[in-house]
Amino acid sequence: MHIRRIHMELVAATLTAGIGLLAATGSLDLGVGWESSGPQPGYFPFYVGLIVLLASVASAAQTLLALRRHGQKRQEIFLEAEQVRRLASFFLPMAIFVVVAIQLGLYVGSALYLFYVAWRQGRYHPFAAVFLGLGFAVALYLIFEIVFQIPLHKGPLENMFGVY
Amino acid sequence: MGNFGLLLDGFQIALTPYHIMLMVVGVMLGLIVGVLPGLGAPNGVSLLIPLTFSMDPVSAIILLASMYWGALFGGATTSILFNIPGEPSSVATTFDGYPMARAGQPTRALTLAFMSAGIGALAGVVVITLLSSWAAGFALRFGAPEYFAVYFLAFCAFVGMGSAAPLKTVVSLGLGLLFSTVGMDTVTGSLRLTFGLDVLIGGISFLVVVIGLFGIGEILATVQDGHKFRGLSSRIDLRDVLRTIAELPRYLTTVIRSCAVGIWMGITPGGPTAASFMSYGIARQCSKPGQAFGSGRAEGIVAPETADHSAGTCAMLPMLALGLPSSATAAVMMGGLMIWGLTPGPMLFTTKPDFVWGLIASMYVSNIVGVILVLATVPMFAALLRIPFSIIGPVIVAICFVGAYTVSSETFDLWLVLVFGVLGFVFNKLEFPIAPLVLAMVLGHKAENAFHQSMIISDGSLGVFFSNPLVGTITTLALALVVIPQAVKLLSRLRRRGAAGSAH
Repeated sequence: MHIRRIHMELVAATLTAGIGLLAATGSLDLGVGWESSGPQPGYFPFYVGLIVLLASVASAAQTLLALRRHGQKRQEIFLEAEQVRRLASFFLPMAIFVVVAIQLGLYVGSALYLFYVAWRQGRYHPFAAVFLGLGFAVALYLIFEIVFQIPLHKGPLENMFGVY
Repeated sequence: MGNFGLLLDGFQIALTPYHIMLMVVGVMLGLIVGVLPGLGAPNGVSLLIPLTFSMDPVSAIILLASMYWGALFGGATTSILFNIPGEPSSVATTFDGYPMARAGQPTRALTLAFMSAGIGALAGVVVITLLSSWAAGFALRFGAPEYFAVYFLAFCAFVGMGSAAPLKTVVSLGLGLLFSTVGMDTVTGSLRLTFGLDVLIGGISFLVVVIGLFGIGEILATVQDGHKFRGLSSRIDLRDVLRTIAELPRYLTTVIRSCAVGIWMGITPGGPTAASFMSYGIARQCSKPGQAFGSGRAEGIVAPETADHSAGTCAMLPMLALGLPSSATAAVMMGGLMIWGLTPGPMLFTTKPDFVWGLIASMYVSNIVGVILVLATVPMFAALLRIPFSIIGPVIVAICFVGAYTVSSETFDLWLVLVFGVLGFVFNKLEFPIAPLVLAMVLGHKAENAFHQSMIISDGSLGVFFSNPLVGTITTLALALVVIPQAVKLLSRLRRRGAAGSAH
């Protein structure tokens, strides 16, 4: 499944226009005009939101016009099927890592993530992968908690062992 | 003479054993983030900032600045040995650096890169030393309208002088400004754009955004490219090093020209990446016919590396003197200064001279430390790159998320990193410039406050931005930076069309 550049350009323009619109409408409740002490709180984000909205629409229009002029650009690929597959196989474990890290803590999340990637994608022996995951978690603990005294997010497992 | 005396005081601060140790550590860390794809200077600096909260600001900025120099050097190492630019500003170095290394001259390529980088950086520091007091004195004449005009000038310079499409730059700048307004409004105390989400009350940290955009975004780009490291032999032969150093005076013209390009692009918001490309392009145009660039020419390495480092160094001048960072890393560092309670701008020179001159002096020392360290550690970093990507990639990912969490201990920031990582990847591929987004996030509050105060002074009239020659000149210059390049493009297009019509 290829993703064409033109489609991605339009998706990005829609997204950024949406952010601009959201900011402009969100600012309306705060007031976008003037009062005795100066501009109301929504003044700045309202107009910046409008600029983002207009620039996004203009950018999309410019892309479409350029495509009409240069027909071959219509075929330009944003991502090849192989690249999509490669990105998905890297991105999905990363997204799951975020969910696991929030639920079980950053140490457990990092250890599981490194173990999984080394084992499944790096084709390492499970024992080597476990060693890597645990080693990284221990290194994190030593660097952050011990050396720099910065506590990282912890979950039930650390609590069970009395590590806060 | 005044500057010279202050610089000597700065050397007294910079040349303490503790600060020299910080420079060595900073350069080494910078080399690591510069060498590893997916960890660039802005990302490395933003990951390090939370660890410097407990340090005094002079030591912290020396550590961060040294990391910056190290990252600039590290980017060149991978460009030459592996054809992988560790930094966007090292892309132009791959064009001739990798072919020269492949032709059996890796030592020559690396030495040319490091020596010209060192010369470029030193030229940049000399310019900073000479101009900083003048720039700060000049900036003392600034009030709120002048400040807003300067911020406006910075934004317009990105739109008018950047290599990206102007509309995309406007979108990028606008998004940065919008993200900076999320959370509590410091002037009125109102909650803005939080949409009822408690996690947004504190705002969106620019550090989290930078980690997502640069760290995760770039590693996704590496994954998309197939994440293969193809390293070359990286043994350094001392005789080759000395022979190459003796060869350098032959490229004096290229060095001087590239220094000038780098200094100009560093002071204006062009940044190191634009400087290196521009310098490479000029060197190619100035070369005699028949001298093929892209096949391992020495000037093709000297030009981008000199400009890259002089621009990277000079980006500190507008950041310190005017509070205007002209590169993404300088923007991140400026955010760090504000976290430490220091306000970049002209007053910083009078209220914290030890800080400013300690930093400037450290630039001289840490760049020399950098050149020595990179030459000594090339084999070590080459070995690091032999670690399979399936290990080093996820390690970088985990470090990015952990680094983002340490900014404000919010798990919501992990989601933000993921979202901004995808945004960074897509923006890069679609040629949306990312540096203006970071710059706007850092300057957003300051620009809005300056605008607010200006509007109060003028009772809502935009005429305040033309109310005296200084602010009028800056505003006109800003508008000209947007209008003139577009007008020139339009005219040349019309002329081409006219020429094509008459040919028919």
